[in-house]
Amino acid sequence: MDQIYIPKNRVGFDIGNYVTIRILKEGDVEEPTEKLCFYGIKRLEPIKLEIIRDVFEVIDKYIDNYKNIIITGSFLENGFRFNDVDIIIVAVGNVKSERISENIGNKIGVNGHIIVLSGNELAIGLETDPLYRMMLSKCVAKKRFFYKTRQTINYKLLDLHLLKSKTFIDNFDILRGKEKYDFVRNMISIYLFLNGNDVTVEVVNKEIKKTFGIEIGKIKDNILDKKSFIKKYKLIYDKSFALILKGIEHGSK
Amino acid sequence: MVQNRNKLIELFIGNISNAIVHEILERAVGAELVADKYRKELALSFEIAGRYREKINPVNRSLPDKDVDYIKEKIMARVKSELITRISKGYDNIDLELIESLTDKALKDVKIIDSTVSV
Repeated sequence: MDQIYIPKNRVGFDIGNYVTIRILKEGDVEEPTEKLCFYGIKRLEPIKLEIIRDVFEVIDKYIDNYKNIIITGSFLENGFRFNDVDIIIVAVGNVKSERISENIGNKIGVNGHIIVLSGNELAIGLETDPLYRMMLSKCVAKKRFFYKTRQTINYKLLDLHLLKSKTFIDNFDILRGKEKYDFVRNMISIYLFLNGNDVTVEVVNKEIKKTFGIEIGKIKDNILDKKSFIKKYKLIYDKSFALILKGIEHGSK
Repeated sequence: MVQNRNKLIELFIGNISNAIVHEILERAVGAELVADKYRKELALSFEIAGRYREKINPVNRSLPDKDVDYIKEKIMARVKSELITRISKGYDNIDLELIESLTDKALKDVKIIDSTVSV
């Protein structure tokens, strides 16, 4: 069997994929498609690339003065275990996100969850919010952008963000698996950020596995041992809160 | 899982208190908070408190005065304690005077208190 060689990180092809090679004839060459910018992604299923292009096409019809469009979230994870497509539109002014979302749903059959941010909001989010850093460590953007900005610890903001994860402790029985994962992820990303670690999807998931000794899928599937999980959770929560209070006490923001 | 009324009330109090602490801190942080749109997706304490409220009888009208007094008092004490922990560490700009009005508003929103009655 013949082999063909392509760049190692070519999105859409895996080693061992079967392909057809044929000689190009006049008129065979299509218009070059727009190049996408990939961050933290080694491979993406071809169907997802099609979906992303469709999403961009819909947004292009509604807005022309945006700075960027970024796709992130569970849609970019391997497989098809996602409920919607997280879309960040970087733009200023009135964006009819509900209408765009509805049209995306009609076009691709999956809901588009749109967040509209100004360039400044995105920059501040990346600098001060571990969850933003994590989400944007793995994304596909229409245009190139710098996601590796400096990390600035604002203890009051982190206090506010961490408080959301307090809900987990008292409400273990009522929370769904996905909700539990979101709370754990929020807390761990803050804990890592406070300790000066870079916060990416991989780093956070690895830390969750290490801390709780459990696969991410089991948290999402809500198969947890309540007693031991809450014990470990509370330990990290209390450590993070203590670091935040210490930071506030020492006069930092 | 069947939970008794008292347990549900305690869980409700915990979540509403957390929501009020969050709201007061959000106001204290003010303009610095510009980018929290991701966490809007997290199940919020207030929403979860609503899930418990739906299981506390009477569901569609306000609770008896005795329950209201207990719940309100406990929420206010919890919120104050959380905020004072922060103030003691030098956290400035926290407005303790918001506690009562935000508690009343929250209790009206979930029909613990009759919304037509001024408290």
